[in-house]
Amino acid sequence: MNRPATVTTLQAAALVAGSIIGVGVLPLPRVATLAADTGGPLVTGVAVLAAWLALWLITKLGTLFPQQSIFQYSEILLGRWLAAIGTLLLICFFAFLASLAAREFGEVVVTAVLRKTPLEMTVLAMLLLAAIAARNDVRTFSYIHMFYLPFILAPGILIIALSLKNAVSLNLLPLWGNDATALSVTHGILTIASLFQVAFVVTIVIPHMKQPQKALKASSWGVVIAGGLYVAIVLATIAVFGSEETRLLIWPTLELAKTTSLPANILERLDAAFLAIWVTAVFTTLLSTYYLTIHAISQLFRLKDHRLLTYFVLPFIFWMAMLPQSVLQLYQIVELVGRIGLCITFGYPIILLLVWLLRRRGVSSS
Amino acid sequence: MSNDTPKGSGQSSASAELPPSLPPDELLKRRERLEGSLEQSIEWFKQLLLPDTDFVIRHFDIYGRFPAALFYISSMTKQAAIHNDLLKPLMYMPDHLKDAEIRLDGLETFILRKTLYFSDIRTSEEYQTLTESIMRGYALLLVDGLNRGIMINTRDIDKRAVEQPPTEQVIQGPREGFIESMSTNLALMRYRLATPDFRTHIRQLGRLTKTPVAICYIEGVVDMALVDEVKTRLSKIDVDGILDSGFVEQYIEDSHLSPFPQIQNTEKPDKAVAQMLEGRVVIIVEGSPFGLIIPSVFSQFYQTTEDYATRFLQGSFVRIARVVALVFSLIFPSLYVAIISFNPELIPTEFAVAVAGGRAGVPFPSLVEVLIIEISMEVLREATIRLPQQVGGALSIVGVLVVGQAAVSAGFSSPITVVVIALTTIGSFATPAYNAAFALRMLRFPLIIISGMFGLYGLMIGLILIGNHLLSLKSFGVPYLTPAVPLDMQGLKDLLIRGPLWWMRRRPAFLHPRDSTRVARQSAEDMTSPGNDVLENNSPSGQGG
Amino acid sequence: MRERNFMRLLRFLRTGFAVVLLPTLLLPLGGCWDRLEIEKRAVVLGIAVDSATAKEAGDDNKVTHLGRELPKVETHKLRITAQIAIPGRIPLGPGEGGSGGGKPKPVWVVSAYGHTIDDAMMVLQQKLSDRIFLGHLRVIVVAEDVARAGMSNINDYFRRNPQVRRLAWMIVAKDEAASLMAANPELKRVPALYILAMMDHAVEMGKYPDEFVGKFWSKRSSKGRDPHLPYVQMEAGETFSLKGMALFDGDRMVDYTDPLQIGVFMAMTNIQSGGYSVYTPRENLMYRATYRSAKTRLKIENGHPHFRIDIQVEGNIEEKPNESYDLETAAQLAALEKRLGAAAQKGALALIALTQEANADIFGFGELVRAKKPAFWNREIRTKDNWHRMYKKSTFEVNYVIKIRRVGMKAE
Repeated sequence: MNRPATVTTLQAAALVAGSIIGVGVLPLPRVATLAADTGGPLVTGVAVLAAWLALWLITKLGTLFPQQSIFQYSEILLGRWLAAIGTLLLICFFAFLASLAAREFGEVVVTAVLRKTPLEMTVLAMLLLAAIAARNDVRTFSYIHMFYLPFILAPGILIIALSLKNAVSLNLLPLWGNDATALSVTHGILTIASLFQVAFVVTIVIPHMKQPQKALKASSWGVVIAGGLYVAIVLATIAVFGSEETRLLIWPTLELAKTTSLPANILERLDAAFLAIWVTAVFTTLLSTYYLTIHAISQLFRLKDHRLLTYFVLPFIFWMAMLPQSVLQLYQIVELVGRIGLCITFGYPIILLLVWLLRRRGVSSS
Repeated sequence: MSNDTPKGSGQSSASAELPPSLPPDELLKRRERLEGSLEQSIEWFKQLLLPDTDFVIRHFDIYGRFPAALFYISSMTKQAAIHNDLLKPLMYMPDHLKDAEIRLDGLETFILRKTLYFSDIRTSEEYQTLTESIMRGYALLLVDGLNRGIMINTRDIDKRAVEQPPTEQVIQGPREGFIESMSTNLALMRYRLATPDFRTHIRQLGRLTKTPVAICYIEGVVDMALVDEVKTRLSKIDVDGILDSGFVEQYIEDSHLSPFPQIQNTEKPDKAVAQMLEGRVVIIVEGSPFGLIIPSVFSQFYQTTEDYATRFLQGSFVRIARVVALVFSLIFPSLYVAIISFNPELIPTEFAVAVAGGRAGVPFPSLVEVLIIEISMEVLREATIRLPQQVGGALSIVGVLVVGQAAVSAGFSSPITVVVIALTTIGSFATPAYNAAFALRMLRFPLIIISGMFGLYGLMIGLILIGNHLLSLKSFGVPYLTPAVPLDMQGLKDLLIRGPLWWMRRRPAFLHPRDSTRVARQSAEDMTSPGNDVLENNSPSGQGG
Repeated sequence: MRERNFMRLLRFLRTGFAVVLLPTLLLPLGGCWDRLEIEKRAVVLGIAVDSATAKEAGDDNKVTHLGRELPKVETHKLRITAQIAIPGRIPLGPGEGGSGGGKPKPVWVVSAYGHTIDDAMMVLQQKLSDRIFLGHLRVIVVAEDVARAGMSNINDYFRRNPQVRRLAWMIVAKDEAASLMAANPELKRVPALYILAMMDHAVEMGKYPDEFVGKFWSKRSSKGRDPHLPYVQMEAGETFSLKGMALFDGDRMVDYTDPLQIGVFMAMTNIQSGGYSVYTPRENLMYRATYRSAKTRLKIENGHPHFRIDIQVEGNIEEKPNESYDLETAAQLAALEKRLGAAAQKGALALIALTQEANADIFGFGELVRAKKPAFWNREIRTKDNWHRMYKKSTFEVNYVIKIRRVGMKAE
C-alpha cells in the first residue's frame, strides 16, 4: 500500500462527507423528533457537534502518525496482540455496519418501490456494487467519493428547497421542544451521532493524503457538509409535517420527497426518484465501511493485496445482513450496534491517545 | 517490363555460393554486406526480388567506363526521374566536368557531389538497408568494384488531395484534414507550428509492413516523461503489420477491455497542433489519416476545435447542449423503461394515462419493445454507413419514417417508444467523437436490461457501475474524468463551458506541462481593461499629414 | 514469470466475473418481479368511500377472512367505488375533442364492499384482471356519514400504502360519495381529473387553501390543530360544488362551514391570495378580496389564552348595480371600508365560535400556544383533549381592516 500520496484535502473532505451521508438520512427526522419533538433540529445539531468532537480526536490521532493507518500505529502503541484485538473489534463492527446499511436500504427499497423483488436481491446488489468498487486503490476510492458527492447533495438540497412551499415555521417552535427529557435527548444524540461513525474511514486515508496535517480541516469540512445536510433535512421535515406527524412516519425523509413535486409537474412526486438517486449515497457509505473492513483485515493478516478479500468477505456480510427478522427488529439492532460502535470508534482512539501521551511523557522524562 | 538479363551467364561463382530458392530471411542472413562484385550482388538481388514482376534491374556503364546497375521497383518510382535525372547524367558526363579524371575510388564522391542532383541520397553497404530502401521506392545504384550502394529517392506514390475530414466537420475553423501520407500530414502540422521546438521522432513498426510512426510533441511544453512512456509502449509492439493508427492505439492504450476510448483520434491537423500546445503527444502513422492524441480524458470527446474558434458564449452553449445530448443518449431509453414499467406514478397523471393508451395494443413488455426498436435502429445506422452515399440519405429517411410509422400502426410498438428511441439516436449523433459515442451507445443496452429488471434502482446501479469504471480509468496516468475528478480549477474553465480564451491562462495542469503559461499575464489583464474608443471621437485626427 | 501468468489469469477471472457472470446470474434470477407494464395496471384515479347499507352489509365476501368471526373493533361496513382508467380509451395527444355523446367513457367505475378499506380493496381486486395501482390516485372522496363516523381506517390505509400520494386530494361529499365517481363532466376527459382540476384551480383562485391529504394527516397528528377537508355536494349528476369546509375533531367530522367562511378562514390563517367576493345587501354591491394578510398575537390572561388577530384585506369593487349609491370620493370608500370591516369581524368571530362549539381548532391556535408559550402548554395542556377544553375557554379579539383599492374600469 505504499503508493505515492495522492489524496487532496478537498477529496478527503468529500470522502468524509460522502461516507457519513447514507441511508441514515431516511429515518433521521423520526429519531430526532422522538428525542425532542420540535427540538429535533437542535438535537441533530448537538449530535453533529458531538460527532465532530469524536472525529476531531480520531483525526488528531491520525495526524500524529501521518504515515500510518490506525491499524499500523495501534501496533506501535499497544503491541501487536493487544492491537490485534482492537483491530478485530473494528473489523467486526464495520462489517456489521456495512451489512446493516445494506439491509436498511434494502428494506426501504422493498417497502417503497420494488415490493415484490426479494430483499436478498436488493441487498446483494448493493453489496456487490460496494465489493466491486472496493477493489480499487485509495486514489480511486477518494475519486469515487469526490465524484458522487454533488449527486448526493443536490437531491437533498432540491427536496429541501422545494418543500419550503409547504413549510410552517410554527412547527419548529419551541426550539428546544415541548416534551424533551434528558433521557430522550441523550438517547437521540447518541443515535444520531452514531450515524457519523463511518467517518472513521479517515484514519486509513490520512497516510495517503498529500498534506496529512490538513486532515483536521478535511474531516471538519466533511462533518460540516454532512451535518449541515442532516440538520437541514430535519428542519425541513419537521417544518412540513410537524413533529407529531414526523413521529408516525417510518422514513420521514422519503415522505418529504413524496410531498414534493417538481415545478411544472415534470415529476409529480419525487419519492421513487429520490430513492433511486439515494442509491449513490448509500453506495458511498457502504463502500467506505466495506473498504475499511477489508483494509483492516488485510492489515491484520499482513496481506499485500486487499482485492481478493473483497469477494471473500461478501458472503459473511450478506449473511449478517439477513439476520434481522423484521424492520422493527432491524432498527433496534441498528440502534444497539450504533451504541456499541460509539464505544469502539470513540473509545479505542481515546485509549490509543492516552497510551501515546503516557509514552511520550515517559520518553521526555527519561 | 524491361528486365535486362545480365550479360552472359557465367556468374557461377556467385550462384555457387547461394543455393537456389532460399527464403528472403535466409538470404539476408547469408550475406550482410556488399562485397564489391556487381555480379554477385545482382545474383543476390535476383534471388531475392526477381519473382516480383515490377522489380527492375537496369545495367549500364557510368560514363561509359564503370559497369553499374540500377535496381528499383517500377511501380513505386517516378519513371521520368529515373530516365532524365538519374540515367542520363550518369551516362553522359556533363561538359564542365569533361576534364575531370575519375578513378574508381573517387567515383562515389564524384557521383554524390557532382553528378546527381537529388536531395535525398543515402549510401549503405548493408544488404538489409539496401533492400529496405528498394522496397520503399528508392532506386539503388551499384557500381562494380564499389562496396557501397547509393540509394536515390525516386519514390512516387499517388495520394489523395487534402480534403475536409468527413468525421469532423466544422462550420467555423480550418477545414484541412490529414491524408494517408505521413509526410503530408507532418507538413500540415509543421506549417501551423513554425517553431524548432516541434519535434517528430520517427520509428518503424511492424515486422513486415515496417510502417513509419511519428511521435510528435513540442519540446518545452510536453512532459518528457510522457514522451518516454509513449516510446516505451511503442517499442513493446512486435507485430507483423501496422495498417492504421487504430492498430497502434490498441497496443498502447491502458485498459483494453474498457468500452471507453482512452486515446483520441483526429483527422484535423489544427486539432493535433492544439493538443500538442496543451502538452500532449500526437502519433502519426504512415498510411492512416488519423492522428492519435495522447493522453486523452473524457471531456475531450465532446469538445471540438470549433468550440475554440467561435466566441465564448456560442462555444459554451453548444458544448452544454452536447453534454446534455450525451447524457440523454445514454440514459433516456432506460429511464423510459424504468418509469413505464416500474414507477409510472412519477409522471403526470394525464400523461401516464395517455401512455397507457398508446401501449394498450402492444403485445411486448416495454423492455422488449425498446430493445427491438433500439437494435433495429442500430442496424439501420450501420446500413446507412455502408450504403453508397447517394442511396444512404434516402434510405435513412425512408427507414425511419416508414418503418417507425408502420411499426406503430401494426401495433408493434407504441408511438412514444418510437419518439424516445428517435430522440436517443439523434442525441447520440451530437457527440463529435465517434468512438466515445459508440461507447455510450453500447452501454445503453445493459442499462436498458438492468432497468427492465430493477427499475430506477437498477438504472442507478448501472450508472454507478459505469461511473466507478470511469473513475478507475486512466490514460497514461491521467485520471479519465480529469478535470472534474480530481478537481482542477484551471481545467474546469474548459469542462462544461468553454471559458474565454484569455481567461484560460494556464495549460492544463494534469498534463504537467514544463511551461504552463498559455496566455501572458499582461495580455490577460489587458483583455479586462476597456478598449480605446478610437472612432468615437469625431475630431479628424488623421488629417494632419 | 509463471506467477505473473497466474496473476494475469486471476485478474482475467475477476474481470470475467464482473463482466460476464454477474449479468448472466442476474438475468434468469431477475424474473423482473416488479415489472408491470403501465397498461397492465388498473390505474385507480379516484376512490369514493361510502357506508354500506344494511342490505349490502349482509353478504360477506370472505375474501380476506374466513368463517363468521367479525372484527373486534366496531367497524362499519364500507363500500368503495374506484374510478379506473381504461387504457386505449383516452386518446394520446391533444386529439379531436367534442365528438359529443358518441365517445366511449374513458374510465370504468367499479365498487366493492368490505369491513376495512383494504378488505374492500381485496374484494375489488378479486373482480379485476389487472393489479390495482394506486400511484395515480388523485382524489379520495369520503361520504359525510363515513367521515362523521371516523376516518381512522381510511387514514391508516392510505398512509401506510407507499403508492399513495401525499399530494392527493381528500374531500367530503354531502350525500353519496360514489356519485362523484360516476359523474361525467364535459370539461375534462377523465372525471377524476376534473375533480382534481376543480380543487387545484380553487387553490389558484384563492377559493380554497392548498389542503392536500398530507396536510390533513399532519394536522390530524398535531396536538394544537384540527384538520379540515373540502366539503362538496353533487349538482344535477354532472358536476359538484364546493359547499364549505368539513370540520374535524380528530378523526371525526363534526360540522361544516358555509362557502364564504372559507374566505374568512383563509384570511385568518394568512393565506394571501384572495378569491372570494362579498355581497353587501345594504349597498347592493360586490366586493372582491384580492390580497389578505393576518397576524395573530397571543397573550395568556387569567389562565387561558387570549388571541388578537389583525387582518387586513385588500380588494376591489366588482359590481354596483345601484346607481343611486355614489362612490366618488376617498371618504365614501373609507366609510364603506369601515362597514365592510365591521361585518367581516362579526363573520370571523362567528366562525371562531363555530369551531369552538365543534371542538375543531382548524386555525391552529393551539399550535401557536404550543410554539410560543411552551411553559404554559406543558403546564396546562399537553394533550389534544386538554387543548379542546382550553380552546373553548380562549378569548378572541379580531381587528378586520378592509381596504378598497380600485373600482374597476367604470368611474363613480
